[in-house]
Amino acid sequence: MSWIKKEWTAQEADRWTKEDYLTFIISPLVYVLVALGVAFSLLLLWYGWVILGVSIVLLVIMIKIIDPKLKAISEDYEIKQKKYLEDLEKIARWEE
Amino acid sequence: MVVFGFLDWFWLVIFIVLMVVCGVLFYRLGKRSMADFFLAGRGLPWWLPAASVYATHSATDTPMWVSGVIYKYGLRGIWYTFFSAWCAISAFASSRIFRRSLAYTQAEWQTLRFSGLGAELLRGWIAGWQVFMNMFVLGWVGIAMGKLCRYLFGWPEWIGLVLFSSLCAIYVLAAGYWGVVMADFQQGVIAFSVIVLVSIWGIVAAGGPQRIMMKLESLGQSWRLNPFAFSGWASGDFPLVWFLTMLVIAVIGGFGMGTAIDWYPEAQRIQSARTVRDASYSIWWGSALIVVRNSLWAVAILAFFTLYPNITSTAEYEMAWFRLGFEYLPVGLLGFFFAAIVAIHLSTISTHLNLGASYATRDLYHHYLKPKASEKELVWVGRISTLILLLGSFLYGLMMQEITQWLIFALWIMAAGIWLPNILQVIWWRFNAWGYLSSWIANLGFSWLVVWVLPEFRLIPVLPDYLQFWIMMVLGALIYIPVTFLTPHEDMDRLVKYYVMSRPLGWWKPVHREAERRGLLQVVKTQSEGGKK
Repeated sequence: MSWIKKEWTAQEADRWTKEDYLTFIISPLVYVLVALGVAFSLLLLWYGWVILGVSIVLLVIMIKIIDPKLKAISEDYEIKQKKYLEDLEKIARWEE
Repeated sequence: MVVFGFLDWFWLVIFIVLMVVCGVLFYRLGKRSMADFFLAGRGLPWWLPAASVYATHSATDTPMWVSGVIYKYGLRGIWYTFFSAWCAISAFASSRIFRRSLAYTQAEWQTLRFSGLGAELLRGWIAGWQVFMNMFVLGWVGIAMGKLCRYLFGWPEWIGLVLFSSLCAIYVLAAGYWGVVMADFQQGVIAFSVIVLVSIWGIVAAGGPQRIMMKLESLGQSWRLNPFAFSGWASGDFPLVWFLTMLVIAVIGGFGMGTAIDWYPEAQRIQSARTVRDASYSIWWGSALIVVRNSLWAVAILAFFTLYPNITSTAEYEMAWFRLGFEYLPVGLLGFFFAAIVAIHLSTISTHLNLGASYATRDLYHHYLKPKASEKELVWVGRISTLILLLGSFLYGLMMQEITQWLIFALWIMAAGIWLPNILQVIWWRFNAWGYLSSWIANLGFSWLVVWVLPEFRLIPVLPDYLQFWIMMVLGALIYIPVTFLTPHEDMDRLVKYYVMSRPLGWWKPVHREAERRGLLQVVKTQSEGGKK
């Protein structure tokens, strides 16, 4: 999956990119397939196992796509968080 | 009535002691500050809030509701439980944005996204509404436990309501959200294990999967195995247009905040996660477990249907999953099963006690009544609010029979017409506090008209719920879109600050340009674009 970006700078990760949009498509699909796959597998229907297998493959792909970006966002954001929390308290206390 | 043996009582007592003690143990952490009492210090790894998401949304009445829709609709009923799929997109969209805002509550977020009087009105309204809603949910879930105890042991309903909610309040009062989330983890593990056990036990009791399918065929009920057995485009009891509406509400709703009633407890879990990544995964995995749980229950209820195919009373077939457990599990495991029911009950009660108290403390007391309050004082206000919610829930629970119809209506009007505004406030910079506020007011009026008044006077027919949803969405837009354009956009300073902090998705170009102009965004060079801000 060379077309999926694995190395992110914090500024790049702040933008909404194709990795996010792909995740928006894959994620609900995984939920639908898990719902069907678990039910059919419990009924021991062969296609239940196939559906469940596809859902797991899609889940792994989704995590490979989005996880590097989430890590980059988190690492950068946690540095700024202390300052933001101070601002939040000022609003709550009517100081801003 | 169910008779417990020594081993059953042993399991029950051990589990209750474990759950309560596990929560109370975190007393010292909970009392440190308001952030600890309501958000566990914003430091949790993703799997703890994920377990809490799962445990909270497995309440005493959840198996009743899932049993009801599966018994009635077969595997198609899975889609009635699929509304939790809003987390599929939310985990990577609105959850990320909300986590970056750092707001304690959805009410507080309003004053970060919007500004001025409109924002304060919204904060006050949402805080008050959430205090009420949490008290209502506590009463609703509490009386479901009261009914179950009456069914099992013949106790008067108030005993089950008061006894278990009070036990739960011990650790919520002591340790706040620390107690909630730690007990939720333990309760989630117990509940999931027992759901697997009882569901598989039920399937085996019905003769196994092959036997269940053969029995359904012999009864002429094979359609129950097809989750896509639509009754027509717009006709019958399971029309395709309902299914499509459900998918839109659930999936697209993930771009907004508050599009599902579950958003509010989830928002607390999102903020309690230690990073943005942890917040995303906590919501995604917690809801994934709910999807798995619903499918487990669905097959178990199909098994129950083959054992008891002729039940017509809703109240009776809603007890299907409980009956599988209490009628088919051996003595000794009954107490284990009931302990798991207590676990799912306490996890829901604890969440709503602490969540309601967070709105009362952070948004009403701290922001409006005493902005200079100390952390110690705020923790105590949190405890007093928790106690008031507990007592209020007893009152609600005991009068629930009379008010349920009204409150279901209240839930509906809070959901349908503001679904789109809940998304617009996240993705469209120009949508302002007055537009959002007017959508709430318009929704209140239109829902009364469309759902109740006009059909009552036979001016329009009683419409199916999916049609009500689309009509209320269009009618509401006729109000809030003009209001938005007739009133000025939010203060640009506030918008820029919010944008730089939260980096929302959607239509934010004017705010992005302004943030660039102020030098608040750094240049990003990409291979394809050669350089982009």
